[in-house]
Amino acid sequence: MPEIAIPKSTISKTAGIRRPHIVVRIFQALKLPVNDPFAVAGLVIYLVFVVAAVFADQIATHDPTEILYTPSYDLAADLRPGQDGFLMGTTSLGRDIFSQLVYGSRSALLIGVTAAFMVALIGSIIGLVAGYFGRWVDAVLMRLADIAFGIPFLPFVIVLAAFLQPSIWNVVIAMALVLWRDTARVIRSQVLTLRTRGYVEAARVAGSSDFKIILRHIAPNILPLSFLYGSIAIGWAILTEASISFLGFGDPDSISWGYMLQDAFASQALAKQAYYWFVPPGVCIILVVSAGFFITAVMKTSFSRS
Amino acid sequence: MTEAFLSVRNLRVSYQVGRNFVHAVDGASFDIPKGSITGLVGESGCGKTTVARALTRVIADNATISGGQILFNGKDLARIPEKEMNALRWRDIAFIPQSAMNSLDPVYTVEYQLGEVLRRRGGMSRAQARKRSEELFDMVGIDPGRLTDYPHQFSGGMRQRVAIALALALDPKLIIADEPVTALDVIVQRQILDQLKELQTRLGLSVILVTHDISVVAYICDRTVVMYAGKVAESGSMQAALTAPSHPYTMGLRNAFPDLQGAASGVLTPIEGAPPNLANPPTGCRFKPRCPFALDLCGSEPPVVDVAPGHPVLCHRASESAALRIEAAKTETWMARA
Amino acid sequence: MSNFKAVGSRLLQLALVLWAVVTILFLMFRLMPGNPMAAYIDPTFTLEQQQQLMAQFGLDKPLWQQYLIYLGNLLQGELGQSFRYREPVGQRIWILLPNTLILTFSSLIIAYAFGILAGAYLAWRRGSWVEQAAIPMVLTTRAMPEFWLGMVLLAIFSFSLGWFPAGGTRDPGAEYSGLLDLYTSRDFLAHLVLPAATLAIYSQGLPLLLMRSNMLDVMKEDFVTMARIKGLSNWTVVVRHAARNALLPVMTSFAIAVGYQLQGNVVVESVFSWPGLGRELVNAVAASDYPLAQGAFLMIALVVILMNLLADMLYAILDPRVSHA
Repeated sequence: MPEIAIPKSTISKTAGIRRPHIVVRIFQALKLPVNDPFAVAGLVIYLVFVVAAVFADQIATHDPTEILYTPSYDLAADLRPGQDGFLMGTTSLGRDIFSQLVYGSRSALLIGVTAAFMVALIGSIIGLVAGYFGRWVDAVLMRLADIAFGIPFLPFVIVLAAFLQPSIWNVVIAMALVLWRDTARVIRSQVLTLRTRGYVEAARVAGSSDFKIILRHIAPNILPLSFLYGSIAIGWAILTEASISFLGFGDPDSISWGYMLQDAFASQALAKQAYYWFVPPGVCIILVVSAGFFITAVMKTSFSRS
Repeated sequence: MTEAFLSVRNLRVSYQVGRNFVHAVDGASFDIPKGSITGLVGESGCGKTTVARALTRVIADNATISGGQILFNGKDLARIPEKEMNALRWRDIAFIPQSAMNSLDPVYTVEYQLGEVLRRRGGMSRAQARKRSEELFDMVGIDPGRLTDYPHQFSGGMRQRVAIALALALDPKLIIADEPVTALDVIVQRQILDQLKELQTRLGLSVILVTHDISVVAYICDRTVVMYAGKVAESGSMQAALTAPSHPYTMGLRNAFPDLQGAASGVLTPIEGAPPNLANPPTGCRFKPRCPFALDLCGSEPPVVDVAPGHPVLCHRASESAALRIEAAKTETWMARA
Repeated sequence: MSNFKAVGSRLLQLALVLWAVVTILFLMFRLMPGNPMAAYIDPTFTLEQQQQLMAQFGLDKPLWQQYLIYLGNLLQGELGQSFRYREPVGQRIWILLPNTLILTFSSLIIAYAFGILAGAYLAWRRGSWVEQAAIPMVLTTRAMPEFWLGMVLLAIFSFSLGWFPAGGTRDPGAEYSGLLDLYTSRDFLAHLVLPAATLAIYSQGLPLLLMRSNMLDVMKEDFVTMARIKGLSNWTVVVRHAARNALLPVMTSFAIAVGYQLQGNVVVESVFSWPGLGRELVNAVAASDYPLAQGAFLMIALVVILMNLLADMLYAILDPRVSHA
């Protein structure tokens, strides 16, 4: 009987007594670091905000847009934290800051995740097509990327948001239209190296269709990289949304951290020294965005190592 | 034997890998006489480069000189304070690296890099440095007009000459050349080695030439130190080591390399197997697992036997070396082991 | 020869990008919902004025002709008339550009000076507690919304402590004989401190992290080891060899950062009422002053594109491997 050479590592993995839990395997497949303290801290922060977003209705003490009154029927405006039972105080219009903060995590995550998904998806597809087909397809797509690099992003979002109906999706659309460029360039160069690998050549010689080769052999290998760039885009999206809302081009009907900051700034919160109003939304943004940085920084090092 | 002005005694260099220590050099002893070229030869990973770097005391962050002595000019380089050691560097002990491409700073001209050493370490004025640089370029056979070029503008062989010029800059007592020609093609290799030999004879330099290629040693060296798995297997004059190798490893190396002069010396026979893992070296003779002449007694620590004056050999069967040499010359001897 | 060719193709690419951005801008302002005429014609003008402008911008002609007229006008530097200021857009931009550039460059120079030194220091102290603590802190500054940082600084140093003015470029009522007079005044400098500090704190992370990781890479290079074997002083090894090499990509990133900063200015200028291009863009868009918005956008895009080009060129100039090929 001919001997089949199996690398030792493969044997020990498949013959292991217990397969790792499905969550652990997904983490491993996406190269999510589970043993780095910073990355774990990042994941925990994400988890907290996801819980806040999902259970916002239960966690929030008030309707974030409702104008509230004190027990003595005065407008509950500019109350300090703890005053009249308002956990983190109220805005100048008498809205509950804590509740706004909780609901803010909902729009932050919604925008962050959808924008990141769009950016990663579009960037990966363009990078894949450019890298795989090469020649004029590559030349055209990469010139498009150059053009996207020439567009000042924030001004572009502002103009777009001004022309379209005010909506939280403007940021997502603008990001999808402009920020695919970074992902596309990285994915393209990755595909260029993958294309020269033996098994891709072999599949091509064996007559596999381009579609099949991309789907079977190339896409799985760039998935972790797409995921990395998607993760980076989450922070970008949240910061961009905050800027746009702060400048007054956001959706007036949805409560976001950027909107809260705009409200505070416009209501003289700085002069009133109402730190309890404008500090927490900023801290929330920092927490979510830096959580993403911690995770992606560790992911990047594990990429450069492999 | 001429006067030894560098004497390495029981040198031990350890790398910390995780929580373990790996002794890349584990009790190496040899002497370097004045005015000669000594080949430090062995397979990659045998510790020869670590020895070379230990002599300059610029070693990896996770490495330490954990034992032994490096006696040079009446000082123990393993122990003198860093400040004193630094004063010796380049003025007394210079270095020719393996790849001059990576060892020259890409953003400075060659003249700047020569001048840096001449002025900062040699205390010369700008004009003196300029004059000396031209002199050095003449010496290694490069047009001084090219001093203002950047490293990447030179060819591989030329860069290696620049590296030699740099090493000669301050008239050092000892030059350590770490695989100085390995990255070059055979023809350029010969030119560089000829140049090195010529300069060595003319200037009376003392050179340690680190190489994995015993034919390079045979080509220009006066003496040789053969290292295996962190230990010195055999050392002695070139004459002795080539005509009468007394360690089975040296005999094997002789068979494994072509002659640099191009004369085919029969069939090339490699030594089967690989050097031991130094994190967990075998007990007794470290060459035992690959040695065609290994006996049971080789499982114990081998003695250092002087087969001739100034020709120590680390082998249990050193006294039988004449007979073993005859066997070792046969290809079958080495094949049988496999 | 090949150098000329490379520069030529780079310039061609620049022209392509510029043309594309101009075209995107044209389409955006013409095809967006709302009255396309509004992009150029102030509805409060008299009918006669409106018709004159209609003819000047060719708004009575089909789209492709409008496009050609638009390109022609741009080539002549004709950006239209601002609704709000009743003056040519070009002139308005010309007044605002210096303010934006002063803010951008002063903050970036501080950020880079600090970031380069701190990055080199952290690379040198790698593995120490200083580094362990500093890296997350730096990442946190990158995660801050710039305008929020501006708000916090404003609340503390202006409203609470009263050390610096809250906004603008000069005290109300202060008169200056000329721009140079203004820019060199204590008054202007005091107004510059907070916005510049905001942008600098936000921007220092990029050069810092870049310098640090470059240093760590370069420190492993053979020529650094050789410099040690040469017995050169620690300072010479770290500064003249390691840092000098690590600096190359950092200097290149400066040009890109200028282009990037110009976008960040949009929010920070708004927080500090700094009369620059970014704030004007926001105000123009909010007030539907389309010619001004379009002009400001174009100016910012032009700087971004030029800075991308400068980054490439800087690299070629600073790296002898390219400049002396």
